[in-house]
Amino acid sequence: MVSAESRAGILPLHMDANPIVLDDAAGDVVVVVVEGEHDIYTAPTLRERLDEAIGRGGGIVVDLTGATFVDSSVLGALLDARRRALEAGQGFVVCVGAAVEPGVQRILDITGLVPVLPVVNGRDAAIETARSGNGAGG
Amino acid sequence: MSTLPDVRLTLPARPEGVAVVRQALAGMADALAFDAAVVADMKMAISEACTNVVVHAYDEEDGVLEVEMSADETGLTIRVRDHGSGIRPRGERRGEAPALGLGLPLIAALSDSYELTGTAGRGTEVKMKFVYVREGDPVEENPVPGTVGDDGRWDPDASRGTPAS
Repeated sequence: MVSAESRAGILPLHMDANPIVLDDAAGDVVVVVVEGEHDIYTAPTLRERLDEAIGRGGGIVVDLTGATFVDSSVLGALLDARRRALEAGQGFVVCVGAAVEPGVQRILDITGLVPVLPVVNGRDAAIETARSGNGAGG
Repeated sequence: MSTLPDVRLTLPARPEGVAVVRQALAGMADALAFDAAVVADMKMAISEACTNVVVHAYDEEDGVLEVEMSADETGLTIRVRDHGSGIRPRGERRGEAPALGLGLPLIAALSDSYELTGTAGRGTEVKMKFVYVREGDPVEENPVPGTVGDDGRWDPDASRGTPAS
């Protein structure tokens, strides 16, 4: 038996390896770029970034192309943001790249959220969909 | 394979510990003959189990998150344990955002078998088994129920029909 005691509270967790940044190059649609592994530890940061994106008033795209792992804490943050965006008449779209990490694809598939969020392929297509205000007004 | 040690981790039940457990599991799984898809399922299931401990197990004080991983000739058994007050579904702690309640359904869907034991006041243990050779996708036996309701919130009792027009 190997025992390891880890003092997780002081471990140097590499936040920089799991960045969440806003890209507003598309103008009226802000892209929340999520990279690396995300779980209950980084979900509060994701919620902050999503709040900021919604606050800008335009469409929102969440780009998971560079994400390698997302759990149900992340899905909770995405669904809350989606609900608020659509209530405010703002488009909300999630996008992935051509090759999706199993740590991202699997949870989206088995929760049936691909058509709901929705999840589309490619940032450009997502921006166009979000710009058209998908889902807004029913 | 028979020389592979059991691994036991004891951590504070805090959010930052979940990634540590996931990395330890990835290291252990690397030494075993698992498909990448099964490793991905393990990482998701162990994350959800640890998250349940972090969010639900303890009221005020920092408690302990215990994880044990033990390989045998058929696969890997993972135990995630707390010494808290028992599972309280969808409880809120310290003002955190409410969870979707997807933790246990995901564990059931992704593991080849699982068992939940524990009683109020004596802690909870989730035991999950992942086998080297799967006969099918465990999701088909234990699909995750629920979908997003008309109010935009996750509804575990809603059925996934065709999307509303």
